[in-house]
Amino acid sequence: MDEYALGVLTNIGLVSFVALSAYLLLIAGELSFGQQAFFGVGAYAAGMATAMLGLPLPVAVLISMILGAAAAALVALPTLRLRGLYFAMATLAAAEMFRILFELLHWQIEVGGERVGPDGTQGFRGIRWVFERGVEPDAFLAIVWLLLGLVLLLFLVMERSRLGATLRALGDDPGLAGALGIDVERFKLGVVAASGALAALGGALYAHHNTYIEPRNFDIMLGVHSLAYALIGGLGTALGPLLGAVLDIGVLEASRFLHGYRMIVFGGLVALLLVFRPRGLLDERTVRWLRARFS
Amino acid sequence: MAKSPVFLILLAFASPALAQRVQAELDCAFTGTDFVYDCVIRLKPPVAGVHISVGADMPSMPMAHNIKPVKARPGKVPGEYLARLDLEMPGEWAVKLRLSGAVRDLLVLRYTFTESGTAPRR
Repeated sequence: MDEYALGVLTNIGLVSFVALSAYLLLIAGELSFGQQAFFGVGAYAAGMATAMLGLPLPVAVLISMILGAAAAALVALPTLRLRGLYFAMATLAAAEMFRILFELLHWQIEVGGERVGPDGTQGFRGIRWVFERGVEPDAFLAIVWLLLGLVLLLFLVMERSRLGATLRALGDDPGLAGALGIDVERFKLGVVAASGALAALGGALYAHHNTYIEPRNFDIMLGVHSLAYALIGGLGTALGPLLGAVLDIGVLEASRFLHGYRMIVFGGLVALLLVFRPRGLLDERTVRWLRARFS
Repeated sequence: MAKSPVFLILLAFASPALAQRVQAELDCAFTGTDFVYDCVIRLKPPVAGVHISVGADMPSMPMAHNIKPVKARPGKVPGEYLARLDLEMPGEWAVKLRLSGAVRDLLVLRYTFTESGTAPRR
């Protein structure tokens, strides 16, 4: 496989983590424009853990997921009482606050004769754990897709369990779910924290793939894309966000001759889908139909 | 072996390989064709016999642009390499240099591409 194909497949895998985190919130009935913040928390935390503290990547990933979950829970505590667009706006505002915090973050130490660590708007260089261990792009692609496969498997098992049914009930009608004995606030807090951990996992891998991150990586554009992937692919199954990422990046790559105008194609695609299939290609109805047909 | 789970687990706790660090700077000229740039890469210290693959990503849209990496060819001066970059739009880009051969390294350079050329991002 050539370097270009490896790059495209790795990017699809990485962006799928943040798309799945947006999907998790969507099926719980919440629209978040702020998942990029937790992707960023994961990227910075894992980068600092390996490049500055010398920790191995698996430990760094674990730390980043815990911090991503904590950051998401912190945002959720005051904002979960909001509904619909108000919650969406609050998550966007919180994500911008995180991005500004990354811009203000200056903490560099000397490692091997070089200054390493976040340097505000100048970014964070030298996240070289993966590179220095000789992990070639194809091996890193395998790591990304192995982890993504595990996450998808967890989602598919969860969606067929009582937990999945509770999650969908909460998304459909939180009032009714509450009347049936579900602690809506606590359950949603857990869902938001899990979505933060998932986005952080993607961020940790992204930082090590790129070796360099900067605050601009985590602005609204990534949040919009991740939400769009979940909405394009469909809210009927966890495979939806992955399908959305594959379709979008596939369309963008196939329309390379349009140069910068490709983004207009992307916007048009999202608009059309939201009109004709508001819950995406693999929506709940289609998934039920597919299950009935193939089971 | 390279992709087996055992290899990946062993890799997770392995020690880093020693690497010689080099620095690089970029000087690009707009070709007149949207948005194609002829770039000169200068390695410091000047090292010959390096294979350089040049890619690029837009920091404000991470993972959305998949610029096809191009191979740089050696220039006339030692440590100088030439590459033609076909970007999708002007603006701020992170140019990724993957070095192999005489030096193995991965460098990320922050530059702003305009319709006249490039300038390092501040």
